[in-house]
Formats: sequence, structure tokens, C-alpha cells
Amino acid sequence: MRQPDVYAVASKDIVFESFDGEAVVLDLSTGKYFGFSDSGSGVWQALSSGVSAGALAETGAIASAELTNFIARLLDFGLLAPADTAPNPLPVDLLSQLAAAREPLVVEAHDDLADLIVVDPIHEVEEPLGWPAVKLAN
Amino acid sequence: MPRVTLQTLPDYARYLITTAESAAAKFPVTHKSRLPRLELTVHLSPGALADALGHAYVEAGNDEAETAGSRIFVAHPGIDTIPIPAQWGDAHYTEHGFATRLAEAGLRGHFYHDLDFWQFYDPQHRVGVQLMTAANAFPPWEPAAPLRPFLHWEYAARGMRLAHAGTLGLDGKGILLAGSGGAGKSGTVASGLLNGLDSVGDDYVLVDLERGVTARPLFSTLKQDPQGFARLGLQQRLRQHGPLNWQGKHTFHIADIAPRPVPATLDIIALMVPHISGSETSSIVPASRRDAMLALAPSGIMQMPGERESGFRLFGELTRLLPCYRLSLGTDPEEIAGTISNFLARGIS
Repeated sequence: MRQPDVYAVASKDIVFESFDGEAVVLDLSTGKYFGFSDSGSGVWQALSSGVSAGALAETGAIASAELTNFIARLLDFGLLAPADTAPNPLPVDLLSQLAAAREPLVVEAHDDLADLIVVDPIHEVEEPLGWPAVKLAN
Repeated sequence: MPRVTLQTLPDYARYLITTAESAAAKFPVTHKSRLPRLELTVHLSPGALADALGHAYVEAGNDEAETAGSRIFVAHPGIDTIPIPAQWGDAHYTEHGFATRLAEAGLRGHFYHDLDFWQFYDPQHRVGVQLMTAANAFPPWEPAAPLRPFLHWEYAARGMRLAHAGTLGLDGKGILLAGSGGAGKSGTVASGLLNGLDSVGDDYVLVDLERGVTARPLFSTLKQDPQGFARLGLQQRLRQHGPLNWQGKHTFHIADIAPRPVPATLDIIALMVPHISGSETSSIVPASRRDAMLALAPSGIMQMPGERESGFRLFGELTRLLPCYRLSLGTDPEEIAGTISNFLARGIS
């Protein structure tokens, strides 16, 4: 049965690294990349490792409404997807990280590389002819 | 006209490589370049690309260990049985899907639609083919950094990487300058070279993490927009400068303005994120590794076909190995160079 507040990284194209408690996430398929605040990094690390949203809310380190909005953004960005798995416990070091966080819950999205990433645009074409026979509008 | 789909892509790649290898003796020109740990042999026709191979690389010395050979065929119809390039036959094309499909077959590749320009590489056998419709039917950026994707694939297979970064150095120690276009990388590198510092490149350099972070030169070309060119006094210094390139920039070579021969390596001691501050004087202050990684990794990964995740991991490791700084650029090239020179001198002592 689906756990409504458990999430997983949305696909294998979402890769991330953490630097001194601050996460950097890159979507390999689109080239969008994301920088997280210290609290955002802690929440990202927790959610992406299967800690439930409910467990995070129970810590008291983050306001519930703020957490809900943050998760909605991660879902919108295609970084997280709902998971069918049982939740994992919140690691003690992550709890400490969240308690020590000083910045608001923020994820900044950057898409300035979009034109570089998909070097060639996706084309609508006449199927039998293929690219670059562009399909005419009816 | 043959059409290639994701399904038939690996077969097409292997067919082109085999056909080019069979026609090896029919290519009019064979050019050898000695690059870091790589002896690159290119079979091609005379013309602009053959000329570019002669001056666009920084040739490595003979003391490089673990040198391997790689062969690239720059092919087009008219050379023996080389076929007309196929066209893309699927309704949709994404760079990532294209690269992933080839990687599953142990291959690397890239396709530039506008010219039906194909590049395939087999890293296991170190052989590749670049197929064009004619000898001069290549993208405008190709002569400044010839065969860049092939170098990217070959070095990535060996755990090294082309980083999108500028470099400046002093007595064998150096800094990496990371940032997107317009951040001031090229102007900073030119300022440093004109004022006594070394560099192994202002756009793409080869990095490896074997013993700390090391940067090596590959491409000798430097670029400056007309404003920067004038500000740096290069109009007077390089009176023989040619026409602007496809980006509207002047191109010249490191040796044109460097105080010494290009060093074979720089041991990198810091990662810097430059930005044009608007103030008169330059400054260097600590920056977060997150910000440095965001400046270094995404553009370096996304401007190269394939090897995206391995690049992300390598740049992550590189960022952890180095102290990171924000470099606020002043307005005077000599003062900028002096600020970096002092930083390097302190790091060396």
C-alpha cells in the first residue's frame, strides 16, 4: 500500500552531491540544476533517502505548511516522486543538521543551460519523413 | 536517403567506424598530435580542419606516462566508400536519449542536425569517425577546438575530464576559474598572461584527480570580445589579428601573449568563481563549495555529449578537494593579475 508521505528520487537522471551540508542537484536529462539552503539540503537528504514527511514534521524543526510547500516544489521540479516503500527512520545526524540550520527552506532552480543541454530541439515532424520535415499546422 | 533511429543507432555507428577503418589508406592526410597521455592520429582531407589540427592544440612533451593511441577518421563522401550521412529518422531527438542508447552498446556519439554531422567513438578500441556531407561541412566552432567530443570521450574513459574552466598559474601552482559565459573567465586569463602569469587554457582544460587536482593544456585558442580585446591592449599587440569568429570574438593563441611556454601541468590549489564587481579593485573571499560546484559542474557537463553522471561525480570530488573562493574582478587588468599573483604566491610559500 502506498505511503502517502514517502518519496524517492524521481529518476536515475536526478543526481546530487552534498557539500558541507549543502546539496547540489542536477537533472541530467534536462540540464536544470538546483541549489539548496542548509535546511532545504537537510530535508532533501531526508526525503530522498525515504524518511517520511510526517517524521520530518514531527521533529518540530520545520513548520508543517512550509514543509508541504517545499515538497510540492520538489514534485513540480520532477526531483521527487511518491514511493510505495515503507519509510526509513530519520538519521540522528540529519536531525542535528536540521536543528542547526539557519536558512529558510529554499531550493533555487537554474535553467540557464537548457539551450546547451538539449543541443538539438525536439521537433514535431511528418512521421514518414522524419526530421527535419516539420509537420504543418492543420 | 538512409534514416537512423534510436533502435538502429548502435548498428549505424559500428557500420561507419568499420567503413572508415577499411578506407584508412584512402584518406589524403594523416595528422598526428601529441596530447597529454594521448597520441591522436587523425585521417582527413586537406582544408580548414587539417590546418586547425596544426595550430589549435598545445602539443605535449615526450615525458608523458601511460600514453595511449587514438585514431579518428574525419570522413565525407568522395573518400573511397564513405557513404552520404544518414538523417535522423525518429520523430523526437534528445541528446540524453541518444547518448544513453549508445552507451548501452559501449559507444559514444553526437549528432548535429543542421549539417547531418555525426560523431561516433568506440572507447574500447579507441577509434572514432566524424562523418560530414563534405570536407568543409562542419560547425563553425570546430576549428578552435577540433574533435573536442572525441577528446572528452577518450579522457572520460580514463577517469580524466575536460573542465569548462579558465586557469592561471605561477611556478607550477594554479587556480581554476569556473563560471558561465560572461563571468569574466577569458578576460581574467588574458589579464594574467599579459602580466606574467601562466595558463593552460581559458575555456576547456584537462583535469585529473590522481594526485590532487592537476590541470593540463589541450587547446591553444583564446577568445575575447572586441571590447575586451581593446581594453587589454590587444589591438596594438596583435596587429595581425584575423576576422572575428562565429561568436563575434577575436581568437588568438596562448603563445601570442604568454610570458613563457605553456606549462605541461598546473597543480591546482583553489577553485575560484569570478564575477565582474564594478568596483575598482579586485578581492578574493571564501565561497561555499555549493556555489563553486554550481559554477563549475553544470555547464561543463551539459556542453559535452554523454558522460554526464561521471562528470557530475568527478566535479563533486574536485570541488571537495579544493578551497573555494569568490573572485571579485576590478577594472584594471594589471591589478586583477596582481591580486591573483599575490594569492598564488601566498599559496606557494
